[in-house]
Amino acid sequence: MWKLQRIKFFGSCLFIWRSKGGKKKLLPWLFLTPSLVGVIVFTGIPFLDVIKRSFQDAMGTRFMGLRNYQAVLENSAFRLATGNTVRFLAVCMPLLLLLSLGMALLISSSAEQNRLRDQGMGIFRTTLVLPMTIPAASMVLVWKIILCPEGTLNQLLAGVTGTVWETDWAFSQWAFPVLIITYLWKHAGYDMILWLAGLWGISGELYEAAKIDGAGAWARMWYITLPGLTGTFGLVGVLSIVNSFRVYREAYLLAGSYPEPSIYLIPHLFAHWFLSLDVQKMTAAAVMMVGAAVLPMAVALVIRRRSDGQ
Amino acid sequence: MALFFVCLFVWLPLLVMISGALMPADELYWRYLSPLGLGKDKVRLAFLPTYPSLEALWELLFCSPGFFVMFWNSCIQVLPMLAGQCLVGAPAAWAFAKFSFPGKRTLFGAYVLLMVLPFQVTQVSNYLVLDRIGLMNTHLALIIPGIWSTLPVFIMTKSFETIPRQLLEAAYLDGAGDVYTFLHIGMPLGYPAVVTALMLSFVEGWNSLEQPITYLKDKTLWPLSLYLPDIAKDKASVAFAAALVTCLLPALVYLNCQEELEQGVATSGLKQ
Amino acid sequence: MRKIYGKITAWILAAGLAVGLLSGCQKREVNKIQESTASIGVNGQGPISGHEPENSGALGRYGETQMELPEEIKEQSLCQFIRGTGGDLELFTMNRDSSGTVTKVFHYRYQNGAWEKEENWQGEQILKDRSLDLSLVTYGMDKGCYIGGTDQEYQFHLFKLKEDGTATELLEEVFKPKDGSSYGLIPPKVEVLENGNLLIYGYWDLSLYDPSGVLLYTFAKDFSGSTSEARGFCEGEELVTVQEDQLVRYNLKNGKVLEAIAWEEIKGSRETVILFGDGNGGIYAANETGLSHINKGGTLWEILMDGSLNHMGMRSLFLQQFLQGDQGDFYGAFTSEGGSGIQIFHYAYDQDLSSVPPSGLTVYSLTDNSTVRQAASQFQSEHPDIRVEVRTATEKDGTVTEEMIQGLNTELLSGKGADVLILDGLPVDSYIEKGILMDLSSLVGELETSEEMLNNLLEGFRQEDGAIYQVPARIEIPVLLGEDKAIAAYSSLGTMAGYKGERPLVPIEIYENLLRMTARLQYEELFINGKGLADRDTLIRYLETVRVIGEASNSKNSFTEEEGKTYWVSNHVQPSGIRDSAIQYDAGHCDSGIASFGCFMDLCIPVEVRSHSDKTRMVSVGKLYLPLTLTGINRSTANEDMAKEFVRCLLSFEVQKEELYDGFPVNKKALETITEREKESWSVGSSAGDGSYEIHADWPDLETRREVASMIEALTIPAVVDETMMNMIVEGSRDYYDNKENVEAAADKILRKLSIYLAE
Repeated sequence: MWKLQRIKFFGSCLFIWRSKGGKKKLLPWLFLTPSLVGVIVFTGIPFLDVIKRSFQDAMGTRFMGLRNYQAVLENSAFRLATGNTVRFLAVCMPLLLLLSLGMALLISSSAEQNRLRDQGMGIFRTTLVLPMTIPAASMVLVWKIILCPEGTLNQLLAGVTGTVWETDWAFSQWAFPVLIITYLWKHAGYDMILWLAGLWGISGELYEAAKIDGAGAWARMWYITLPGLTGTFGLVGVLSIVNSFRVYREAYLLAGSYPEPSIYLIPHLFAHWFLSLDVQKMTAAAVMMVGAAVLPMAVALVIRRRSDGQ
Repeated sequence: MALFFVCLFVWLPLLVMISGALMPADELYWRYLSPLGLGKDKVRLAFLPTYPSLEALWELLFCSPGFFVMFWNSCIQVLPMLAGQCLVGAPAAWAFAKFSFPGKRTLFGAYVLLMVLPFQVTQVSNYLVLDRIGLMNTHLALIIPGIWSTLPVFIMTKSFETIPRQLLEAAYLDGAGDVYTFLHIGMPLGYPAVVTALMLSFVEGWNSLEQPITYLKDKTLWPLSLYLPDIAKDKASVAFAAALVTCLLPALVYLNCQEELEQGVATSGLKQ
Repeated sequence: MRKIYGKITAWILAAGLAVGLLSGCQKREVNKIQESTASIGVNGQGPISGHEPENSGALGRYGETQMELPEEIKEQSLCQFIRGTGGDLELFTMNRDSSGTVTKVFHYRYQNGAWEKEENWQGEQILKDRSLDLSLVTYGMDKGCYIGGTDQEYQFHLFKLKEDGTATELLEEVFKPKDGSSYGLIPPKVEVLENGNLLIYGYWDLSLYDPSGVLLYTFAKDFSGSTSEARGFCEGEELVTVQEDQLVRYNLKNGKVLEAIAWEEIKGSRETVILFGDGNGGIYAANETGLSHINKGGTLWEILMDGSLNHMGMRSLFLQQFLQGDQGDFYGAFTSEGGSGIQIFHYAYDQDLSSVPPSGLTVYSLTDNSTVRQAASQFQSEHPDIRVEVRTATEKDGTVTEEMIQGLNTELLSGKGADVLILDGLPVDSYIEKGILMDLSSLVGELETSEEMLNNLLEGFRQEDGAIYQVPARIEIPVLLGEDKAIAAYSSLGTMAGYKGERPLVPIEIYENLLRMTARLQYEELFINGKGLADRDTLIRYLETVRVIGEASNSKNSFTEEEGKTYWVSNHVQPSGIRDSAIQYDAGHCDSGIASFGCFMDLCIPVEVRSHSDKTRMVSVGKLYLPLTLTGINRSTANEDMAKEFVRCLLSFEVQKEELYDGFPVNKKALETITEREKESWSVGSSAGDGSYEIHADWPDLETRREVASMIEALTIPAVVDETMMNMIVEGSRDYYDNKENVEAAADKILRKLSIYLAE
């Protein structure tokens, strides 16, 4: 019976393959299947399980309907964490993108000006990637050296202003900027490399042509460089969002698991919910997060379909 | 000049760390008593150790037998994962980038979304899946799910998309098959992206904490990343040294690959 | 061109790193292969029946049988357990009187399966003639018998026995007090080489002498933490000992180091070890982790016996001697703490024993816990077919991280996880709320009706609905020391703050400890069930009270090293905030002392201090106690009966009666037993660095011990303070105590965080 089915299945595949244009239909799946199967098993199924759990109680024994969602939405800690996270992203993303892009432009322009220094630039770029690779546990020690009440930053400020500084930067109202700076420090170098790759991808002939046409530096930047970087922009943007959820490790090691309310982010909340076994709340919140991300994507898709159709 | 200042911003903390790794323990405690949580004294920052010594590195590399075991565990867990990501992820990315088929956008959207989910959310569900398959408490528990991480697929797709269509069409006209095109045009041109993706995966896998601690009960299987948090408190000098060793490997990989990385991108652009 | 150079450098660096790391591990790999193919000879008399790796289902393991000992020596001190020149096992024990002087030496020889007493041992007469106390016996490789004894001045004398019943004293000068110290060396071990040269084990080094007393070589070794432990052996021309936390092999001929062997993985938490040779240059190491073996030149330890499966891992037993038999078997001699209470076990390889017991029980604990280990060993010996696995999240000094608890939670939520959970440091309230823990009320009820337990301590954990999810296996009792007026001051926050005396109420401390201490002492006033703070006003009063008592004693958030030395204070945080301050009270620094008693040893100094003045009283803090080793059972365990049996074992007299210095027992009979136990040889002392203060205290007398025992029987309120909340209070109040902000601001800061915590 099974054998017969298999023959049927392969038969039909073969049929599609041989049919006119069928090869085109099946081919992408040939490339995609190895990845798709694994992703479904190791990410898809767990995610479905997460959705299921978001409708159940913590131990997965009782159906709770939408009560978990209600509980999460009414939770003041969740609202605080969401607000802070949105704020963090809103401040951090533009800063990170601009900073790394600026660095990339600087490097590529100085490389153009002075070909001889190109070799030095290689080492240079490598060191800028290093912050990504350092384990948070070690890096936090360095931040503490700089930021603690007896630390370097306070000493510097005391030297400049001539008064006593004993701010505990990670635990004061400065915690938010501190977190942003550590985040920028860690990721700017890597994003710069991505931008650089994008910059190198833009044809040099275009610039030459523009120069001949008398376009100034800003015009070239605006009409050639930036449009050429749109693909990279998507890449860097998404990666930075992914990485922003990992900022928790630093935040937690630097300022403890209950930091200043201003840097209390969603990962903090999730960690605490997990510690106290409140997975039902955590999964419900995660499903809502995904929902919030899907919505704009779906809208964009529909709009694009419509415009394609027209 | 501006660049120089930006780089200083990146370098100074790095220097503090490196000098910390090259300090004898006494000097380290004298300088950084407060931040290490051992007492109260003013910080005496140093970008170069006064008494440089390889004591900490020596202790880490030659007197901590646990370090080696964990180092190899890390290698065993991370390298096959990277190979797997290449084998599985690159074709999928090619499919996303260069074919059109129904449901492509939705599927790709799902890939991206799954990537953003924090690990904690799916931790319990992942555990159940791995337990069902019987991978728990083996190196495979880290390797197999890692292979099907969606992040590399995303990065590679973005890069494959930039390969000009004319190039592929030219190949098709010459009679090249789809698989041939992928292997001989897609892969060489997309090589930098593959390296970029693997770099990221490497760093992530090398520094992962939650997964090994959850999936590996047997401490002899633990990777290097779990060595650090355990020592950071009482052996601060070793913590700096370990950080140095940990980031040495990715740095070397990068140093080796960066030329291809940049040249590869450049060629793909030139042919536009 | 330069690019290529850069690349080449990078590759060379990479290759260097790889080679460096490989070289460290290749040795390992090679060794593994060697070990699996080569069998280990036992003194050249044939191979030990194969040491199979521990696979489930595989057969073959070392079995353990206790050797019956003659009744008269069981409670005596062990002197030596050795193999004589003929290969027989010999046992030397001593009977000591209450002052520690040896009154009688017993010499037994194991022949034909029984211990036979050897009357009129030649050595005893020799010692008696010189009025010496026996301290060691050894048979040299030159076949001679050597004995050592100490005289009244604790000076050691070494003799070689002669055939004619006389003896010659050796190395007389070596053991005399030197360099102005009042005591000479009493070597824990002496080995005599074939040529008659003597290897003397010192505390910090080993010295090789020729028989005439000429020093040939000195070899460095680590101090083992005890003057009676030798850690080392010599075989042929080589000596193995512990140096710089590694096993080191020296060449006796030229004093050179031949190899250094890492032993991290078998070190165990006690760091004591018995080392002996296998006759082929390999090393055996026996300690609480079991028996391990390493080949000469190897780097991989092979574990022959798992200490957690037999008495070797039992926390109440101390391995003193470990010997190899003729048939690839082994003998281990243990004593209780202090060197008496001898037990000898025989370990023989049993083909039919499954290498791992067929069924298992898992106990999870965040940190290492002696009582749990003791219970595991006890349980194991009562049920040889059940393997108890004690899983700890951290190594002995490691820190517990959130990820570890998250890992445990994942298992628990998946319905897996350990059968028995030691809840110290875990989010117990959430576990109870989510139904992770099993209701133990029937088990507790059964224990309570047996009249065996201190019911008052168990009852403190009954929930409002009558369920009991956790029971303590150990407790600590906080006590106050002082005159009536000072003690009365502890009755509430208000009275603490309002205390007016000649001296401050408490000694100088870091504020964190004061906060933590006050949280326990005023537990009922401050908290609602240990979780929620009563209200904002209470918090403010709490912070202010701590400030008042702290300012009186010049307390600070943290002290510099200099201040620490001057004021007898350290920055060390006590989890309960209670640091023993009886001495500070006695020295007149403050009007009251506070201590937390976990064993009768903790009583010594406070009781001595109390005896200094008629007005000083020692009382418990209301009915408060600090529960430790809180134990619960995972509700989804598949081994419910076994898990309950384990908890019963943990609370049983057998386990609870052992003094492991991790808290008082909760078993009534065990408490009575340890209360009645005399330890006259105990005494402790403490003195200030500048000599301005000195105190000496003996083991507390029976009456005092009974007094504390009766205090314990009256305790009913477990003081369990939520650690997350405590950390918030400590962190949030730091600026207040540094005079950077006022109390309202600090309280609001704390409450803001607390509201997030409670809202989650």
